[in-house]
Amino acid sequence: MLPYILRRLGIGLLLAVLVTLITFWMLSFSFDGIAAGILGPASSPERIDALQEEMGLNRPVIIQYGEWLFHAVQGDFGISYFTSEPVVGAVLDRLAVTLSIVLVALLLSVIVSVVLGVLAASRAGVIDKTAQGISLLGLIFPNLLIAIVLVLLLSLNLKLLPATGFTPFSEDPLQWLRSITIPVIVLVINGISNMMAQVRGTMVGELQSDYIRTLRSRGISTGAIVYKHALRNAAAPALIVLSLEFIQMFGGALIIENVFALPGFGSFAFNSALQGDIPVIMGVTVFSTLLVVCVNLVTDLINGWLNPKARVY
Amino acid sequence: MTRNTVSRGRSRWIAAAAMAAAGAMILSACGGSAPTKGDGSGSDEDLELVLSVVAAPRSLDPAQLDGGTQAYVWGAIYDTLLFRDEAGELQPNAAESWEVSDDALTITFKIREGMTFSNGEPVDAAAVKNNMDRNAVTPGQEQEKFVNVSSVETPDDYTVVVSFSAPDPAFLYNMAVDGGVISDPSTVDDERTPTNPVGSGPYELNVEETVNGSNYVLERRDDYWNVDAYPYETIEVTVLADRTAGLNALLSGQVDFATVQANELGQVQSSGKFNVVEVEGTSTAYLNLADRDGTKVEALGEVNVRRAINYAFDREGIVEKLMFGSGVPAVQPFSPKSDGYNADLEGTYTYDPEKARELLAEAGYADGFTVTMPSTVASQTFEPTITQSLGDIGITVEWVPVPSQNTTAAFANGDYGMYWFTMGSNPTPRDVDNFINSSTQNPFGWSSPELEELLAAADVAIEPEEQAAVYKELSAYIVDQALFAPVFYINTNNVTTEDVKFIGDGTNNFTSIRNFVPAG
Repeated sequence: MLPYILRRLGIGLLLAVLVTLITFWMLSFSFDGIAAGILGPASSPERIDALQEEMGLNRPVIIQYGEWLFHAVQGDFGISYFTSEPVVGAVLDRLAVTLSIVLVALLLSVIVSVVLGVLAASRAGVIDKTAQGISLLGLIFPNLLIAIVLVLLLSLNLKLLPATGFTPFSEDPLQWLRSITIPVIVLVINGISNMMAQVRGTMVGELQSDYIRTLRSRGISTGAIVYKHALRNAAAPALIVLSLEFIQMFGGALIIENVFALPGFGSFAFNSALQGDIPVIMGVTVFSTLLVVCVNLVTDLINGWLNPKARVY
Repeated sequence: MTRNTVSRGRSRWIAAAAMAAAGAMILSACGGSAPTKGDGSGSDEDLELVLSVVAAPRSLDPAQLDGGTQAYVWGAIYDTLLFRDEAGELQPNAAESWEVSDDALTITFKIREGMTFSNGEPVDAAAVKNNMDRNAVTPGQEQEKFVNVSSVETPDDYTVVVSFSAPDPAFLYNMAVDGGVISDPSTVDDERTPTNPVGSGPYELNVEETVNGSNYVLERRDDYWNVDAYPYETIEVTVLADRTAGLNALLSGQVDFATVQANELGQVQSSGKFNVVEVEGTSTAYLNLADRDGTKVEALGEVNVRRAINYAFDREGIVEKLMFGSGVPAVQPFSPKSDGYNADLEGTYTYDPEKARELLAEAGYADGFTVTMPSTVASQTFEPTITQSLGDIGITVEWVPVPSQNTTAAFANGDYGMYWFTMGSNPTPRDVDNFINSSTQNPFGWSSPELEELLAAADVAIEPEEQAAVYKELSAYIVDQALFAPVFYINTNNVTTEDVKFIGDGTNNFTSIRNFVPAG
């Protein structure tokens, strides 16, 4: 299994290099505006040209990329043009905030989706219709709308939860819980819709298979059939949805982060793209690519563990 | 055997889930903090103020400081040589007195004795000189402000003599804001400066609780020389880029202050628990008719064409409908509270498309002409109105989208003959620098003998009344020659909770923490 993991990670790194090269090339079209952006609107053209030269922005793109790559592999991603923070530290700080929300939301989504999906599949009727209804509602209503309504209700009217801001767990666990509650609820509502429908759909298919009839004829309890046998087989597609959901939540967190003023990864990436903060954009690209690679790898490994027939290593 | 598999499988799943949750918690511990605010004033000795702003300071390096709400943070950490009070008058601050020579080519500052930086180093003339020299050579926002400085001398420990190669009327005003901060020479070039600088100002950054880019916690220094002028023990500046988030934070009591747009004031006013101070004319929104020699857009070289453009806009209508009444129609670039504002000029350009077409015909453009303008974040709301207003007089506008990171360069490169811009109001000498001498506002380097004469007269007019008279003349020239097409001044609604008072009426637009005092 280890050579497989190493091979996957190796490919992932190559992928990261490729993606960053393309990104850098696309960014290079806006290089001639960087010095002007840093010096501000009152500066003179000579000063702008001088800074442009000093920052080495007039050199061929491939040489500039090479220099970035050379430093990047040593762990030095440079300093933000706009906040003057080291990129690595800034990205990791923001990543921690977003992850703490996304992982909690994902966990809750998984639990709720599996329970509801299995219930809906195994006991058709009211529960099934309700679950489908919830799934549909979650898909229809945009994140932003749910977020604003919840803030209006819970923060402004009932004053139960803070309207904005993030408190890290290390500082105050209770405050952390309060500050992530509404963002997590919003993410979970969206997360459930996809996953639950997936789990339910696959389960329905599984429960109609022949082997289920065989198991039942052997006298195995319904509970064991559903949870031990059918769910394991239904897990594979659900896992794929899960990994996609994780990536999507990560990106979708941008809107949540803006509305709740959370210093997270999504809004950080967005703002740096808007401002043309090249070192940060490159750092964000690398981390995002590696994140997707890791998530896919972990999904494949879990899939292999759950279903030996699907093992690729 | 079956049972074993099941329970091992399930417990593994549970264990994995628990590890993920634990991992999330551990990771989140690495994050910074944005603590929720308490319920407000606390005890009398320990007043806390929480401000919300829409943009974070870019860098706290003295050579990179920017104006606007960033000043709430750096203005607390750094001391400036002078400061400007609400009436717009320059007052001594770190410099206890200053003197301008008769030829306006030398300014002598006397530095107050006994001041220290937060690390204990003394504030003296050498520190001031070091900062000025550094600003002059470091590429950044400040460099342009020292371009007329020929030398900085320190004849003794508490005297700084600044010599100029040409008179610079904006210099003293710059010393009251970002140009005049004093940094500690022993640490200013260290890595910490952009995010946690050493200053001699009334507050110090609390590094543990500060999250760069989203939340700045400032604590008052008890050894500051003027500590009585600052009533708040702690000031927190929270970056809430989203307007809705800012409003929600204000309404839910998380922050004491936010700027609110006119169409959202209703919620604030109906609760009755907030003070609203509307300040007029904090910025000017205008079309910069930059290509006055007609190099790129031939038509703009004709003064009647530029005047025609000024007649094309229904300024009252725009203020009412697009700005929800939170603005004032404008025909001149300098804001109503500034020295350069010339009340006689009001009414020079009315909404008169007929007259505009006549003027265009006179200039030889009876069939109008086409012009390309950059579409930026600032112009988007107004593009339909601009297209229609200019279209009504025969000018066809084509908008070219410009990404925000290229906006400054697009203006400064002279790619466009005319463009929409919003400029913050400043003391008039600085406004002149911004509107007339800067690369983004004058990319074609346009000038005229009359303009040169007026600017030279302003340079040597040292007395404030004399200077104001020259600036009013300058304004009249600008409006007559239609160098710009100002449309409206933007008002700012400063909303504070009941126990905080916002002082300031727009005469001094500098966003300083001195604007806030406990109410009642």
